[in-house]
Amino acid sequence: MRLSRRIFGTAALSFPTWAYVLFFFILPVALVVWYSFGYKPDAFTTHAMDQLSFDRYAEVMQPTFLSTFLATLRISVVGTVLCLLIGVPFAYWLAVKVRPERRMLLLALVLVPFWTNFLVRTLGWQIILAPEGFLSGMLQSIGLLGGPLDILYTRTAVQIGVVYNYLPLMILPLFVAMDRAGATLREASRDLGAGRWRTLFQVTLPMAMPGIASGCLLVFIPLMGDYVTASVLGGAQGSMVGQLVASQFNTAQNWALGSAMAVVLIIFTLAAVALAAGLGLLARWAFQRYHRIDVTADDAPDSAGADVGGTAITTEGASR
Amino acid sequence: MTRRPLRVLAPDDTVRRISRRLFLSGLAAAGSSAALAACGAGDAIAPSLDPDGEMESQLNVYTWGEYDDPDVIDAFSARHGVRVQMDNFGSNEEMMAKLGAARGTSGYDIIVPTGIYIPMMAERGLLQPLDHGLLPNLRNLSPAIADQDWDPGNEYSVCKAWGTTGYVYDRTVITRPMTSWEDFLLAAQDEASGSTTVLEDPWEVCAIWLAAQGEDVNTDDPELLQLCEDALVDSLAPHLRAFVSTATTGVVQGSFALIQAYNGDARQALMETGEPERWEFVFPTPTANLWMDNWCIAAGTQHPDAAYAFIDAMLDPEAAFAQMDYVGYDTGVVGLRERAEQEELDFPEIVFPDQEILDRLTASEYNDGMEKRVIAYDRLVAESGAA
Repeated sequence: MRLSRRIFGTAALSFPTWAYVLFFFILPVALVVWYSFGYKPDAFTTHAMDQLSFDRYAEVMQPTFLSTFLATLRISVVGTVLCLLIGVPFAYWLAVKVRPERRMLLLALVLVPFWTNFLVRTLGWQIILAPEGFLSGMLQSIGLLGGPLDILYTRTAVQIGVVYNYLPLMILPLFVAMDRAGATLREASRDLGAGRWRTLFQVTLPMAMPGIASGCLLVFIPLMGDYVTASVLGGAQGSMVGQLVASQFNTAQNWALGSAMAVVLIIFTLAAVALAAGLGLLARWAFQRYHRIDVTADDAPDSAGADVGGTAITTEGASR
Repeated sequence: MTRRPLRVLAPDDTVRRISRRLFLSGLAAAGSSAALAACGAGDAIAPSLDPDGEMESQLNVYTWGEYDDPDVIDAFSARHGVRVQMDNFGSNEEMMAKLGAARGTSGYDIIVPTGIYIPMMAERGLLQPLDHGLLPNLRNLSPAIADQDWDPGNEYSVCKAWGTTGYVYDRTVITRPMTSWEDFLLAAQDEASGSTTVLEDPWEVCAIWLAAQGEDVNTDDPELLQLCEDALVDSLAPHLRAFVSTATTGVVQGSFALIQAYNGDARQALMETGEPERWEFVFPTPTANLWMDNWCIAAGTQHPDAAYAFIDAMLDPEAAFAQMDYVGYDTGVVGLRERAEQEELDFPEIVFPDQEILDRLTASEYNDGMEKRVIAYDRLVAESGAA
């Protein structure tokens, strides 16, 4: 009876969830991992699995791959930080300063370009950044540039394209998080005597922490695997690991080596995220500890102590 | 890069079969050895239909992107009542892997491999031997182009287009005369440093240095190829701006000053730029690649009459001229050069190199040196990115 309930009861109701995870996540990843132990026997076959080995991983771990991986990591970290630096003020402005009836319009302005084809948007930047494009001509005619714009097919071009392409993925979770913090909490903070900056740093930003974390993940992880932006805007200097994987699958038709590269990329990306998360937790722990000490040191007189203590509680509540 | 769209194999029943095979591989991943056995279904190639003189209503062509004049294809469709479905691939490897996996069930009737890959495809049974009796226009093919080493007697293939490799340079940047691959390497390290591009092709990139040294561009000597790799990484990598397969964008955007390019692409670029006098195309000495793409009928074809009619139609002088004008490569049909000069086609000297140039070209070979070339190329890409 228990078994039949399990099959026909709640498990059946959750079918969409586990089917999604099974067919769109577990099976594809398992296939890629499985292929990575194979090899390419001849020009007509993408992979063969009759002799399993770790040889493809040895092929991946060459200086060629590692230096491209480091370049990719650099582009992704810088891209994520730039998206954060642009996204936080924008989301704050959108959630706090803009009149609610205009908010939808501004959100639409963020979203509509995002619905446009990724490749088309990136090609657009190729035209804008071209040495004989209009931006180059404009900058030269107003005297800001001595010669033609020399950005296209460099790492800078990839960096610009990446920030443009992934910015909405940062802004949306940030906006939701800051919006959720709500006007009432900010008002309470003000009533308790905190200034604007103090409210921002001790109420709004801590409340938005989950949004910042998910925004960074949403930008960083797809960015590590991106190859369109680098293919279109990057030249010799802007290559990313995604291009290596794509060329193994598309051009060389070596699924075994391509899969091994993809697996290594997944592992390295997870390691980078884990490292960042660890550092973040450590920083928060240090920050809170420092603050506690600060509070106890400051605890002498009556009303001021209550104020600081109240803020500390808010910070803790937000971090949960 | 953007010229490599992913396509689904047509027709529908094939698609179903392929995805089922992939699904079986998926089960194999879960440890099902029975499914694994079902997956490797032997090496038999599905049989082709024989031509019976009755035109089919459909023809599936698998070719390179932007390689055929749509007007010519439409004219063929209208004349024979055949719906032509064109799919694209971005590399010979991609095309061969699909045909190899489908074993005659790919649904494609006509494919366009590069000459050097034809022997191994024929050996695998992926190509249908041609019945010359069904190709009356074959007599239009120039004797110089017919009967190549990799397909004696045109048993499997008919020339679709041929070309060679050279480079385009910006005369406002490089003012001295340029004639050889050695000039290319010198200019890349000097005036054109940071604005040089090479093709995304290991053979072509290695051939720059090998030709400049006067070595055999088809060498499979590992030591020589190692020297080539080191020299490319040391002297070329720091000066490269990009790896680009189409010259046109680079010339039009003004991003580069020295561009390794195929002759037809170079002509396309010169036609599209506003200042053609600023750019010059060079057939470099001492040698360069002579490559040829070819019409072939895929084994397992279900539309043989339409396929023969199609290849024959492409050998018609009118269609051949339109095709040549559209892609910028000679199709090998006799009399095109004379007509091109008569009709004042743009840059005929780039499309039709002189006999003296033709004589010094070398057809690339697919030999044991290929793997080393790919390694050299990958290292060049990585090192130029590290700069």
